[in-house]
Amino acid sequence: MNEKNTTEFNRRDFLRGGSMAAIMSMLGGVELFAQTNQAASAAAAAVQGPSLKMAVIGAGPWGRDVLNTLAKVPQAKVVAVCDNYAAMRTRGAKLAPGAAAVEDYKEILNNKEIAAVVICTATHQHKEIAIAAIKAGKHVYCEAPLAHTIEDAREIAKAAAAAQHLVFQGGFQMRSDPQRHFLLPFIRSGALGKNVMARAQWHKKQSWRFTSPTPEREKAINWRLDKDLSLGLAGEIGSHQIDQASWFLNGRPKAVTGFGNVLFWKDGREVADTIQAIIEFPGGVNMVYTATLANSFDAEYEMLYGSDAAVMMRESKAWMFKEVDSPLLGWEVYARKETFYKETGIFLTGGTKSTQSDVPATVEPFTNTPIWFALTNFVRSATGLAAAAEDFVSSFGDDDKDALMEHLSKVPRQPGATHLDSYIATVLAIKTNEAIKANKRIEIDPVLYELT
Amino acid sequence: MKPRNLIICLLLAGVVGLSVNAQAQTRRFNAKPGLLKVRIEGTSNIHDWQVEGKIIGGFMEVGPNFPTKPGQEIKPGKVDAKVQAFVPVRSLISVEKDGKPYNTKMDDIMYDKFLAQQFPRLVYTLNELVLKEAPKAKDQPYVLDATGELAVAGVTNKLSMPVNVTPQADGMIKITGTAPLKMTDFKIEPPAPAIAGGLIKTGNDIKILFEWVVAEKK
Repeated sequence: MNEKNTTEFNRRDFLRGGSMAAIMSMLGGVELFAQTNQAASAAAAAVQGPSLKMAVIGAGPWGRDVLNTLAKVPQAKVVAVCDNYAAMRTRGAKLAPGAAAVEDYKEILNNKEIAAVVICTATHQHKEIAIAAIKAGKHVYCEAPLAHTIEDAREIAKAAAAAQHLVFQGGFQMRSDPQRHFLLPFIRSGALGKNVMARAQWHKKQSWRFTSPTPEREKAINWRLDKDLSLGLAGEIGSHQIDQASWFLNGRPKAVTGFGNVLFWKDGREVADTIQAIIEFPGGVNMVYTATLANSFDAEYEMLYGSDAAVMMRESKAWMFKEVDSPLLGWEVYARKETFYKETGIFLTGGTKSTQSDVPATVEPFTNTPIWFALTNFVRSATGLAAAAEDFVSSFGDDDKDALMEHLSKVPRQPGATHLDSYIATVLAIKTNEAIKANKRIEIDPVLYELT
Repeated sequence: MKPRNLIICLLLAGVVGLSVNAQAQTRRFNAKPGLLKVRIEGTSNIHDWQVEGKIIGGFMEVGPNFPTKPGQEIKPGKVDAKVQAFVPVRSLISVEKDGKPYNTKMDDIMYDKFLAQQFPRLVYTLNELVLKEAPKAKDQPYVLDATGELAVAGVTNKLSMPVNVTPQADGMIKITGTAPLKMTDFKIEPPAPAIAGGLIKTGNDIKILFEWVVAEKK
């Protein structure tokens, strides 16, 4: 096995979080952060309850990160790892002791013991597997974006909508991050004044190209560089960050202008290695998005700008930068502050918003990252449904299937990207990629955001 | 048949008939899923809290003097009723004021305090039901005094509370009630979650509210 990426595909770094806080501390900002992750981790580890037997379908680099993360999720029990490529299958199964290595995902779906699947295959393969999994009665965590076409994304979302007795969660994992949930009401309550713009970036120097022993495998594994199958940087990375802006601004973009070129990795690829996009939200608020595979300066973050303050979000941390003429909130006087060049950032933290400074110096790998929160919530939602079904049947019997389905559809889910959230974010990624490929402005028909 | 035997047969028939009649007059109602709600409200030193569930299982057997129809005339006094109801502990979920899930860590603390592994249900058994005064209007609920027992976390206490019984036009019966409780009465120490460094302390007094809808078993 000689399959590797010489510059390492670092979508993982973006999605699982890293050590940017240290860099931000060097630059200086008031940090906004949720209940300490150590506490959350300890509490989650204490969760009592039945485990969820699950399978991971797709054991590439991201699938293996998911496996490593699931190993740290209370109640998650991976019993099978599926990949149609033997080397990936073997490597993946090693990360889940006792798990079966399975070639065909249909074998997973036929296994009644398996209650849930995490789909980590190439984006264009999601539809077939996700819909079949829902039909087989599995809870589904489907990686983001949902699909590479609007039609496929809609079919997945519709199948999920019709199966409300199951958990469907899209892989827009920042929607599960407690830090982001802490920030949401803070920002939506108008703490930044009048929203004026948003900005986000993802900058890394890496090729996205994998080498492999055979041309067929090389073509398959490099699907991200195939313009017919991949949504490029806008889909693989930007979909998460643009979705965050939509979520915080609580609006659906009406147009997007894109630019993209292959500027550095001139290896025959047709998928841009550098992109810019301007996404137009209602009310004249625009988001500027940049992503590149050619330069790593300043890595990745999301910004929201208001007339009173700006907020910077980097993974699970956030800082607020106030305007001198903005009203005093009070608590920020005592809050921890960091200097960012010539600016002072106020550390924004959930729970206290105050002087909390017990950010762990070291974090156990694969925990307290957005994907860890997302998978933990997915597992908890699924076990919650299983418990609810059991309680219902033991209370009322199992004669009335409709009442059971109705009951399960109303059982609260833990925070995560719903089928509709995921569909809308995918539509936005697809339209952004479309604008980038055409190097022009395109309007987004509001009807596209609707599932019906 | 001799006259004496005839009399015995008639007497026996009468006894059997009475028994059958009594059985026929006892009606059994079961909890109706989808229309049930239980809520526990409490306090803490930072904010009030609430948990909710949508399962109240169990049954009710009632005699002819239990109100099963709107406007039914019932005389004040003891009402024939047997009730056993239960709430699965893990069906209770902490919620925000708007009903959205609050925090799974708080749920886990609650399940732990309820000793959910050993005692997975809160169980209520009715001992006596008394109507003090008939409703003054047809659309008003019947207000009855219910005396029973509530078992929580392995501790059983007597519980007296007023309940509102509202027979529905479709034959179902809605029963609602509220009762104040103290955690320590059930040997539950009010939680002070460790995840908040023990700084959050919950109050001992809680209130349980329920809406129980039952439909006759056919």
